[in-house]
Amino acid sequence: METFFLAISFIIAAGVLPFLFLRSSRLMRGSAVIMTAAGGLTGLLFAARAMTTATPPAATFLLPGGLRVLMQVDAVSAFFLLPIFLVAPVAALYSFHYTRAQGPRAAAGYLFFSLLTAAMAAVVCAADITGFIIAWELMSISSFFLVIHDFGKKESRRAGYIYLLFAQAGAMVIFATFALAYGKSGSLDFASFATMPAQARILVFVLAFIGFGSKAGIIPLHTWLPHAHPAAESHVSALMSGVMIKMGIYGMVRFYAILRPPGPGCAMLLILTGAVTGVLGVVLALGQHDLKRLLAYHSVENIGIIVLGLGIGMLGAATGHPLMALLGFAGGLLHVLNHALFKSLLFMGAGSVQRGAATLNIEQLGGLMKRMPLSGTCFLAGSLAICGLPPFNGFVSEFLVYSGGFQGVANSEAQMFTALAAVISLAVIGGLAVACFTKVVGVVFLGEPRSEKAKIAPPAGRCMQAAMVLLAVACLGIGLGAPWFIALARRAAGPLLATPTPMPAPLDTAAYAIALAAAGFLLLLAILAAGRGLLAHGRPAESATWGCGFSSPTPRMQYTGSSFAAEIVGFYRPFVIIRRDFSGIHGLFPPLSSFRSHTIDLVELGIRRWLARSVMALTGKIRWLQHGHIQLYIAYIFFAMLGLLLWLMV
Amino acid sequence: MSHCADICLALIFLSVLLGMAANRLMELVKIMAFQGTIVSILPVLLEAGQRDAAGLGFMAVMLTVKGLVMPLALYAAIKKVANLREVEPFVGYRASIFSALALVLAAGFIDRTLAPFMPPTHVMLMPASIATIGAGFFLMMARRKAITQVIGYLMLENGIYLTGIALAGETHSQRLLEFGVLLDLLAGVMIMGIIINRINQTFDDVDTGMLGSLRD
Amino acid sequence: MLKSTLIMLAAMAAAPVLAAITGRVKAWLAGRRGPDWTLNYATLAKLLRKTPVYSRSTTYVFRLGPLVGLATILAALAFLPIAGRPPIFSFAGDVVFVFYLLGLGRFFVVAAALDTASPFEGMGAAREALFGTLAEATVFMVLFLLQQTHGGMSLATYLAATTAGPGMNGAALVLAVIALFMILLTENSRVPVDDPTTHLELTMIHEVMILDHSGPDLAMIEMGGWLKLLFYATFIADIACPFRGGPGDYLLYILALLVIYGGIGLVESITARFRMSLVPKFILTSFALAFFALIFTMEMPG
Repeated sequence: METFFLAISFIIAAGVLPFLFLRSSRLMRGSAVIMTAAGGLTGLLFAARAMTTATPPAATFLLPGGLRVLMQVDAVSAFFLLPIFLVAPVAALYSFHYTRAQGPRAAAGYLFFSLLTAAMAAVVCAADITGFIIAWELMSISSFFLVIHDFGKKESRRAGYIYLLFAQAGAMVIFATFALAYGKSGSLDFASFATMPAQARILVFVLAFIGFGSKAGIIPLHTWLPHAHPAAESHVSALMSGVMIKMGIYGMVRFYAILRPPGPGCAMLLILTGAVTGVLGVVLALGQHDLKRLLAYHSVENIGIIVLGLGIGMLGAATGHPLMALLGFAGGLLHVLNHALFKSLLFMGAGSVQRGAATLNIEQLGGLMKRMPLSGTCFLAGSLAICGLPPFNGFVSEFLVYSGGFQGVANSEAQMFTALAAVISLAVIGGLAVACFTKVVGVVFLGEPRSEKAKIAPPAGRCMQAAMVLLAVACLGIGLGAPWFIALARRAAGPLLATPTPMPAPLDTAAYAIALAAAGFLLLLAILAAGRGLLAHGRPAESATWGCGFSSPTPRMQYTGSSFAAEIVGFYRPFVIIRRDFSGIHGLFPPLSSFRSHTIDLVELGIRRWLARSVMALTGKIRWLQHGHIQLYIAYIFFAMLGLLLWLMV
Repeated sequence: MSHCADICLALIFLSVLLGMAANRLMELVKIMAFQGTIVSILPVLLEAGQRDAAGLGFMAVMLTVKGLVMPLALYAAIKKVANLREVEPFVGYRASIFSALALVLAAGFIDRTLAPFMPPTHVMLMPASIATIGAGFFLMMARRKAITQVIGYLMLENGIYLTGIALAGETHSQRLLEFGVLLDLLAGVMIMGIIINRINQTFDDVDTGMLGSLRD
Repeated sequence: MLKSTLIMLAAMAAAPVLAAITGRVKAWLAGRRGPDWTLNYATLAKLLRKTPVYSRSTTYVFRLGPLVGLATILAALAFLPIAGRPPIFSFAGDVVFVFYLLGLGRFFVVAAALDTASPFEGMGAAREALFGTLAEATVFMVLFLLQQTHGGMSLATYLAATTAGPGMNGAALVLAVIALFMILLTENSRVPVDDPTTHLELTMIHEVMILDHSGPDLAMIEMGGWLKLLFYATFIADIACPFRGGPGDYLLYILALLVIYGGIGLVESITARFRMSLVPKFILTSFALAFFALIFTMEMPG
């Protein structure tokens, strides 16, 4: 456990040191990067050891005021430490060139960045209510400050406000969960929650699912993500989207491990939520014009896949199907790691685009592959990974989830239909993700630039490129080294299973087979490419794109992202609405007319229309309490205390 | 023989689905002819089916009526009236297909709940009949034109016929019932044909949606 | 494995001539003589000899597109049993691998189309993407169905000749085969989803995406297309034919292929292409059929 605290100290130091070097921007950023890297490496070392030891490392210490905090790192916690300690240093490395122009203000960013990292590590290790709440709130607050870093802008403040609202509402539900669990079990330790009666366990789990779900971004609690991620800086978005929302998943997993709610009901809840979150997440992503917003919706989609995996695992556990349980849990957990890698890679790619072309509106981009080939290639790799395509890492975890789903054979019909729903929604998500990322890659990086700025975009800074290459290599590495990472995920899934389950032989070989098949495919591709090279006759000629007879095509005539996505989004019409504003064409000599379309998130609309309005109406009724006279407030306090005293006496 | 019956049932499901998804009236008529043929042949192929002269004769009658006469009548009606190509749905095609999925699930569920009170019969026969009845109602509810209501009615009748097969311990009473229904239907179709013709002559259109404006 | 490889190579070599069957049937139904049987080989040879032309808008992704497309379908075929014979490679879960590999191929074909900056190719790419997502749902529904009836998670257990196991009952089989045939038409851009013979940009999906490819790149795309058709046709033949492991299997398999390729020609001759807005309905219908097949296997096990 000492190693862990050493890692945390390094990371805290990475937040404090920059304040000592406010004069020299290089030194300031450099110190933060180096300390974060040191902390990350130490942390990874610790996590790797904690994964393999039989007795989980634990520590207890007293806070001022006599509060006792218990920390314990079992295989699940250690597994969730991996993305934290992997992504944080890479994101810090990326930030070295990304925050170049910021001056001394970057120090504040590094402080909150390191606080966020440390808080997440603490969340994962906390083993009682006290420690967990402190770490959780620290995480929410520090990330809130990271979201509003650009507080001069109205959108940033609004994004921060929405984020804080959701974070605190979610925290309230989590507190309610804790209160209920504490009331029923009479203990602050997580481990003692297991002694509660079955009914209470189910209730606590569902509450925890809602509370943690708002952090993870399950639909309909996802609306903060598309606001917060575009507002934050890219390396922060990478950390928040890649790692922080996984803390919500961690909460679900932890509570499942403790409570083990009986019956398949909770599992079906998860699978249904996961399916809806996954499919709607990717459909909403398809309709976005802002690259970071689009990526934020993709986080929602991937959370859906993870929740599907966990749901399949729980279904297997509840119906006495240990193999299904193992595959589902291992798949869901591995996807946590995978998503951390490729999503941070993609956010970093978006950051490079933003720095280069000064916009994130994909309708004004294009042709960036020629301007920034390395960033573009890394982004392409990340896109393939997030689509779950072999030979990248996303495929490995989706493969496990599929395998789990396919185990849902006709033991009972309800089980089969749930498994079927999971499998079909996975297939739909996979297809839509391909559609969405061909759109992003095609419109942003391929084709011709759609604006002047995109035409002259400079390549990203060297550290930014290095960070992206690292992550891209990691994505491919997990794809080709599947057996080891599957073994890792299986170990992490250990505490979630009632009995230790060995992988049956065919699936054990499958783990090797998918890695071999992926490598074999790459080999085949190389052979074909070589053969293609041998067949080449002469120098290929260069020409313009075939314009179908039209002689002067312009870049503005290219298919836009919106038109690419319109038909697909339109297919899901009742659930997703495309709003079109068209000024129309009037007169014989029509003046300029305009057309704009954007996709509306029905949930957000609903929250704004119904929830917010009714809450406002309700609070409007008690508005008379509020007068602005300090005397009156003192009177309120006095009478409240008086009332409480009286209530206690009676 | 049982194998063939299974395939017939599958084809009935196919016709239900295609019927609910069809967007051209002519397509719908062809599907009706197809369904009528399958439904008429089915009783002979069942394990309990009568394969004597009476049974085959009955099949021949049904085949002529359901597979030939009715579709031809519909065909003639559609040919006669202009502007009769699209079915003009109230419920969209995608929603219709998902309704078909839901309908089949519901049919399976209803069959499961009813099974204890029913004479044992061929598997999936009851769900097929329930789905056909449901599809008939669906066509009558969710499509705009008067002619689709006639078609829906015919599909409903096919479903009732299937239910009759499923329920009939002895086949005699069932046939009586069936002939009665058929007669009703023939009369119904003819009246419908005349009415559609009249509506068309009067309003130059056979959109039932417009008839709503005739109310007092 | 050697034998499987030889069978596979033979099938691959025959893919162009099989595709010619469809053309012949269409010609025959239209009262024409039809193209020569070796036309497709001649096309390949001609394209391979040519020097490609690349648009100045394109990047390496455009050149990678045909390569990845061909590589994915070649790799996918290695996992597919032909005439009930065990495939070259097989492992538990290869179904997911194979169809995700085909997804990878789609990704690159679509990306290559967008790389040309041509509005028409973008249009085709968007349609391909939409229909691909829908077709994938049907494919996985069929795979789930096969998992219910055969167990295991590999194409070899689903499709190779087995004497054991209950298999699928006739009714479900009929529905599944129809659903798969519809997917074959969709995935290979045949009528009524797409028209492979018109070269008018606005009406098409596949043909419009490859407008800018030329020379060996186009040859790879053509070959990939024929192999993809072979893949789906073999998939259907394997499900529909009761292979027993004897030498008669090959005859049965070839017969089944003739029926399928001829069937495509027949469908193309007697139906018109749908307008684009009706294609999703067509694919959804196939999804519903696969679902019905699943219900049938549940109600009638064995």
